Amino acid sequence: MNAPQLTSLLSNRDLDRLARLRLNVSRRFTNRGRGEHLAAKGGTSTEFCDYRDYTPGDDVRFVDWNIFARTERPYLKQFHHEEERHVALLVDASRSMMFEGKLELARRAAAALGVVALRGNEKVSAATLGSVAGEARLASCRGRPGHTKLFGFLENIAGGGAAPVEQGIESFLRQHHGRGTAIVISDFLTAGDLRRAFNLLHSAGLEIFALQILGPTELAPELTDDHRLVDCETLGQLDISSTGDLLALYHEHRAAHEAELAALCRQRSGRFLAVSAAESLERVVFDLMRRRGWLV
Amino acid sequence: MSFTSLASAWLFALLIPIVVFYFLKLKRPRIEIPSLVLWRQVLSDQRVNSPFQRFKRHLLLLLQLLLLALLVLAAMQPFLHRGGDRGDRQVILLDVSASMAALDREGGRARLDEAREKTRAVIDNLLPAQELSLIAFSRHARRLTAFTDNRRDLRAALDALEVEDVPSDLEEALRTAQALARSASFDKVLLLSDGNFPAQANFELPFAIDFQRLTPAGPNLGITALEARRTLGGKWTVFLQIDASAPGDGASGTVELRQDGAVVARENVVPGKAGGQRLSFTLASESAAAVHVALRPTGFDALASDNDAWLRLPAARALRVYAPPGLASYRHALATLAGVNLFPSDTAPLPPAFDLVISDAAADLALPAPVRCGIGLIPDDVRPLLTVEPRASTAIDWRRDSPLLQHVSLADVLFTDEAASAPAIDDARYAALGYEILAHSARGPLILTRTDDTAQRVNVLLHTDRSTLPYRVGFPIFAANLVQAALQRAGLATADAPRTGVLPALALQPGATYRVESPVGISRLQQRSETADDRGQLTGLPAPRVGEYVITGAGADGLRSGVSLLSPSETALTAVESIQFNDRLTVNAATAATRTDRPLWWPLAAAGFALLLIEWWWFQRRISPTNSSGNLSRPGNANPSPMTVPTTVRGTPAPGTLVTRPP
Repeated sequence: MNAPQLTSLLSNRDLDRLARLRLNVSRRFTNRGRGEHLAAKGGTSTEFCDYRDYTPGDDVRFVDWNIFARTERPYLKQFHHEEERHVALLVDASRSMMFEGKLELARRAAAALGVVALRGNEKVSAATLGSVAGEARLASCRGRPGHTKLFGFLENIAGGGAAPVEQGIESFLRQHHGRGTAIVISDFLTAGDLRRAFNLLHSAGLEIFALQILGPTELAPELTDDHRLVDCETLGQLDISSTGDLLALYHEHRAAHEAELAALCRQRSGRFLAVSAAESLERVVFDLMRRRGWLV
Repeated sequence: MSFTSLASAWLFALLIPIVVFYFLKLKRPRIEIPSLVLWRQVLSDQRVNSPFQRFKRHLLLLLQLLLLALLVLAAMQPFLHRGGDRGDRQVILLDVSASMAALDREGGRARLDEAREKTRAVIDNLLPAQELSLIAFSRHARRLTAFTDNRRDLRAALDALEVEDVPSDLEEALRTAQALARSASFDKVLLLSDGNFPAQANFELPFAIDFQRLTPAGPNLGITALEARRTLGGKWTVFLQIDASAPGDGASGTVELRQDGAVVARENVVPGKAGGQRLSFTLASESAAAVHVALRPTGFDALASDNDAWLRLPAARALRVYAPPGLASYRHALATLAGVNLFPSDTAPLPPAFDLVISDAAADLALPAPVRCGIGLIPDDVRPLLTVEPRASTAIDWRRDSPLLQHVSLADVLFTDEAASAPAIDDARYAALGYEILAHSARGPLILTRTDDTAQRVNVLLHTDRSTLPYRVGFPIFAANLVQAALQRAGLATADAPRTGVLPALALQPGATYRVESPVGISRLQQRSETADDRGQLTGLPAPRVGEYVITGAGADGLRSGVSLLSPSETALTAVESIQFNDRLTVNAATAATRTDRPLWWPLAAAGFALLLIEWWWFQRRISPTNSSGNLSRPGNANPSPMTVPTTVRGTPAPGTLVTRPP
């Protein structure tokens, strides 16, 4: 008899597989709270790190008396300091994400990454960017109780806003506290300055994981005649004629946009991944993210 | 460049509705997309990179306008004026004589093919307002087409042209063109020939003529004369003349003589520099025989039609001569001649026909004979022109070059009568009746002769028995000349090879219909039926090609009659540099191709069609995302792998990025 599904976003099998994965962070952005991530500074955990000479004022409880007995010189034992990380899930829910299942894939990917973080005893929070109902936030949660909260939050995201993604990031950072990782899931199709938004994330102690989701028609548009394109968010109009060099230029600019996003993330020790909305979640999470080092 | 149909320029007005309809039609369908960010960058980049962006935005319109402009220009019938005389009507004289079949080299093409090619070029470049008329000429000229601009008819007439193995007659062609000018005026005559005709033309040129001489032919060796003469002993001596187009160039060959199909003689010939080579063969033949002379050149020979000649030798027999017993002087003179059977005879009955009749009785002259001589008889049609008076007369002049009076002296011959022409009757009246005066007395003619196709009649107006002629030495010579004329008429003394043009008259059954089959190679007159006249003569049969014509019908089962070219001028393949006309006008030959106006409508139409294809391809092509090698490709050629190495920004690799592609 099959167990009931915990959420509509992920299957139980996916949840089991996700329990064996961890986020592969490269920077030690941690909080003061105890956790499972080693802090950049030494600490008092049970994991031995090194010895050093005793200096007056040091806590004598950390003197290794066995060595003192053999050498009659005091040495001080040092231990790693383990702190928790804060994983912030930022899901773009603007109108541009309503096309071709981009928001659906974004919700499921956020759920998967959130599960990975919760199973890693991280503190997880979530927020929507550009949602029609304004910015919705999920307060920090951890542990198994956080699963239900996270799934409920992601399932109830209402897409359709018009705010650009960089504004949503800035708005999120005004109320956010904690260092760790910011996973931004969006199509990043904005005319704004993403560099400033990424700088703010980096200076806030958040390692940037950017996941770009584009629809199939955005990756390979087909135009056979003259058209008037209408922006779903700004309602701006643009007349184009289907000529061969126009499509070639489009592909060049799309590739350039992806390269720019990848460079922004790489310069801030972050990671970038561009996927198609037509891809399956299993392929995105268990294949692409693992091979690109997002998950280990 | 000029335009033939400039009035079609009003079609340019169609540009206006095209522009109007284009902008009225330009209602773009709305497509809602996630973001215009990339598209704005694309259009901005496109405008920056393309200085003609304004034009490219309406490239479809521009292509349509260009296409219409090309079509309108084509409709205006432009043509490139190339400096030649441009006329609306033009006559092309095409030489189809025997020399036009000559080849320029081994395996090359004939002169007629070159003329046909040049004519076809003129037809192809024919402008809409121009018309052509084709005239083919050899010995005779015939109009192939009236003035027409129908290229199909002109090409069909041109393709049906065939060489006729006869010499050319330029004057005949010019007269035909002149006759054509009476019904339809024209501007110019283009003469396409190899120039193998006399340099002097007895013609006053009423129109401009452009003489285009074709490329000279190669060396040629051919038979130019063939005849036979009977010798003593009933044998025939066949005389043959071989000529070369370039004497002394070492052309040689072998002559083969066939008698009734069997080879009887063979000899090598090498015409020298001084001229051709004469050959003679002796044949023994008492019965009729067909002689075929075949020349086989050892090297390349430009003309094949002069390599064969045919000759028909008549059967040997005695000449049948009728002279009444009353003309004892003539019978006495004739009895001494060999090969003459004199009638009436005590030993032989009268034959149904004679070869020569000599009589002083008008009834005897009704006997069938090709040569008849009346002694002291005045023909009925001449009787009103003269009277015979009983007064002595003598011959004051006679035609010494006439075969009948050859070696006959009438000096001091006295006649007891005198033939006196009536007042105001001169020699022209006799000539008008077809008579030729061979001898004159003081007041009128003495001997008359009239010759037609089948018979010759000699009239000695005064009876020779009442003259001193029988006592002169010239009398038996005169009788012998009559016999010689009869021999010529009967074909018993000589035999000439008939030439192409008209088949020699054939004696067949009166009123019977015969089927005449021409030699292989001529389609226009391949087979036809002809009917013999009341005398059983089958005459006037056209024989334009060298070879044997087969006549089948009553009394002629497979009768063969061969005709030969035998034309020194055609064999020589001479080519005149210029033509001198009567009015001292000289037309020089031009060897360069005729520069005719070149129509340009079809290149414009072809360009319009190509433009249409380019427009179709340009707007139908699809550009797919770049493939792994960074090149643009169509969707069907895209890398099927969903993961690819990241694409490039203007060719620069973007490492560290994965781009997925829709399935």
